[in-house]
Amino acid sequence: MAEVETTNQSILVVGGGMSGITAALEAAEAGHNVVLVEKNPYLGGRVTQLYQYFPKLCPPNCGLEINFRRMKLNPKIRFFTMAEVTGISGQEGDYDVTVKLAPRYVNEKCTCCGKCAEVCESEIDNPFNFGMDKIKAAYLPHEFAFPMRYVLDPTISGTEEGKKCKEACEYDAVDLEMKETTFDLKVGAIVWAAGWDPYDASRVEYYGFGEYKNVITNVMMERLASPNGPTGGKILRPSDGKEPKNVAFIQCAGSRDENHLPYCSGICCLASMKHSTYLREQYPDCDVTIFFIDIRALDRLEDFYTKVQGDEKLSFIKSKIANISEDEETGDLLLEGENTNTGEQIRTSFDLVVLATGMVPNKIEIEPSPDVSYDEYGFFAYDPEKTGIYGAGCVRRPTDVASCVQDATGAALKAIQSIARR
Amino acid sequence: MEKNVNYDPSFAQEVFENVDAGEEIKMCMNCGVCAGSCPLRFNMDYPPRQIFQMIRLGKREEVLNAKSIMLCTSCYTCKVRCPRSIPVIDVMHGLAHYAIKQGILTRRDTANFGREFWNQVYRLGRIDEKDLPRRVFFAAGFIEGIKSTLKYLDMGLKLLLHRRMKLLPERKIKGIQSLRKMLDKAEKMGKGGAAA
Ligand SMILES: Cc1cc2nc3c(=O)[nH]c(=O)nc-3n(C[C@H](O)[C@H](O)[C@H](O)COP(=O)(O)OP(=O)(O)OC[C@H]3O[C@@H](n4cnc5c(N)ncnc54)[C@H](O)[C@@H]3O)c2cc1C
Ligand code: SF4
Ligand code: SF4
Ligand code: SF4
Ligand code: SF4
Repeated sequence: MAEVETTNQSILVVGGGMSGITAALEAAEAGHNVVLVEKNPYLGGRVTQLYQYFPKLCPPNCGLEINFRRMKLNPKIRFFTMAEVTGISGQEGDYDVTVKLAPRYVNEKCTCCGKCAEVCESEIDNPFNFGMDKIKAAYLPHEFAFPMRYVLDPTISGTEEGKKCKEACEYDAVDLEMKETTFDLKVGAIVWAAGWDPYDASRVEYYGFGEYKNVITNVMMERLASPNGPTGGKILRPSDGKEPKNVAFIQCAGSRDENHLPYCSGICCLASMKHSTYLREQYPDCDVTIFFIDIRALDRLEDFYTKVQGDEKLSFIKSKIANISEDEETGDLLLEGENTNTGEQIRTSFDLVVLATGMVPNKIEIEPSPDVSYDEYGFFAYDPEKTGIYGAGCVRRPTDVASCVQDATGAALKAIQSIARR
Repeated sequence: MEKNVNYDPSFAQEVFENVDAGEEIKMCMNCGVCAGSCPLRFNMDYPPRQIFQMIRLGKREEVLNAKSIMLCTSCYTCKVRCPRSIPVIDVMHGLAHYAIKQGILTRRDTANFGREFWNQVYRLGRIDEKDLPRRVFFAAGFIEGIKSTLKYLDMGLKLLLHRRMKLLPERKIKGIQSLRKMLDKAEKMGKGGAAA
């Protein structure tokens, strides 16, 4: 189905988050043909799930919209969603790539009228909200999705329910015959910008994530605060839907820990401070405590740290929390640890606990894997001997969007050089 | 603990050189997980992190006289949880051992118990649940011995009932000689021995 003409002058970008989009745009605006491959049904990556960006606290959609417009205007970029790279062979200047497209069961005629979702009765866990709510099995991934097009979940494509959706569609947009397809590409260079996954917090057993309802992760906090999230933007306790009055953040939950991620995930200190502003916006009287080993707000981001310190109901306590236990009746959580400034033992109850979990880089998971270098933690390492495939953004180091954008611009330049060398 | 401190590296150096696993504390990032998860933290004068911090501060007397280094029950929680993979428990034991070698007996009963335990393992290859407490109880004198025996009588009867303790003396294990060779070697390496 996909007719894509590429040559060894073209560039493949894998991952359509901020890093991938930036690399694709920069290379295309410098005159190169670019193919962008994204696994999700929409572009934008993890930032589409954030409520606001630190340090300016603006909604991520502004920046994304500008980039999507740049993409629409640029005929040199082709992008594919629900697509994954399954094979890479060859070398710098001459790669053969195989791309697999998963069926969406909805074609480009979709107007997002929503009729299919109206008649659909089956529901699935909403991946966009980390399973905190359900959506219909015929759905728009989120309200700002780009491309703006519905998806039919494979669980209903072959069923009566699927047929009902097709019948409901007045635009002939539902296509139940769609199959998984693959196509091949020739490219001269590859930018790998597959981003990150949140670390699985349930592995830090003594924090009880997955067992205690009111222990959530920082990415869930972003969804709870977002107007298009599971609670319509109101931050509420998962156990009983009550407004939180006393919230704790546990920093380095699974990061800087040799039993988990040995490295610092770079942004979670800032994310928790940002979350304290989300709470303050909704609850002027809510107490917030951030438990930390040390606060890492680097260079210009230190201003944000200074700013939130002005909040009198926000306290910072130097302690890595050592244990959480739940009061089964109230759902409140008892945190234990040692205040390492005073030496005092901490035993304090909170009604909501947010784990500041870190980022795990998405390495190339293709067999046989192309020859690239990683550091000891699985992040792409720049190796001047190995040219042709370049990491960009959070696959290179856990960092914020501004740094990803800079890094991706650099990766685009490296990719262009790979082509120029031929 | 006070905020402005003068670091005196001399005791830290002494620990790195002489204490079993002592060098491990170089990796400590002062996070407090060990101190917050040790089940004995409410009985300790200084939980593990504070001990490590005091070593860095050069507080030799406080560290070697600390009750906590003798209190550790080897539950391993600290070692399992330490984000820097520091064998906190080994350092605690190393320090206790080192303190005893320096003639510091902050918890004489713990030291006695350790010595009797070692001796008995050396003699029998196992622990005699009657003999060990008897020796420990009576080490403090006859009257003290009777008092302690009465205090633990209840527990002793329960152990009997559940066949965790026999009335007859325990016999030596088979192959006691090989075990003794291992214990001798351990003692030579400074790990354990009748001094502890
Ligand atoms: C709780 C939290 C809050 C944050 N808040 C902020 C903030 O306020 N401000 C800020 O600047 N930064 C923030 N960040 C960091 C920000 O999320 C990252 O900097 C950003 O997401 C990095 O973009 P990326 O494109 O490198 O990766 P991603 O956003 O992860 O994008 C990668 C894309 O690649 C796709 N992909 C993955 N694997 C494949 C594959 N095999 N094939 C094809 N596609 C694939 C993914 O679906 C995704 O769309 C926050 C992070 C966290 C954890
Ligand atoms: S698939 Fe059809 S019914 Fe569903 S939203 Fe699109 S146009 Fe509407
Ligand atoms: S950024 Fe902060 S919370 Fe995240 S790993 Fe680093 S120190 Fe820990
Ligand atoms: S848990 Fe490990 S790193 Fe943390 S204070 Fe204890 S010894 Fe140091
Ligand atoms: S091993 Fe010793 S120091 Fe470590 S947690 Fe257990 S009792 Fe405490």
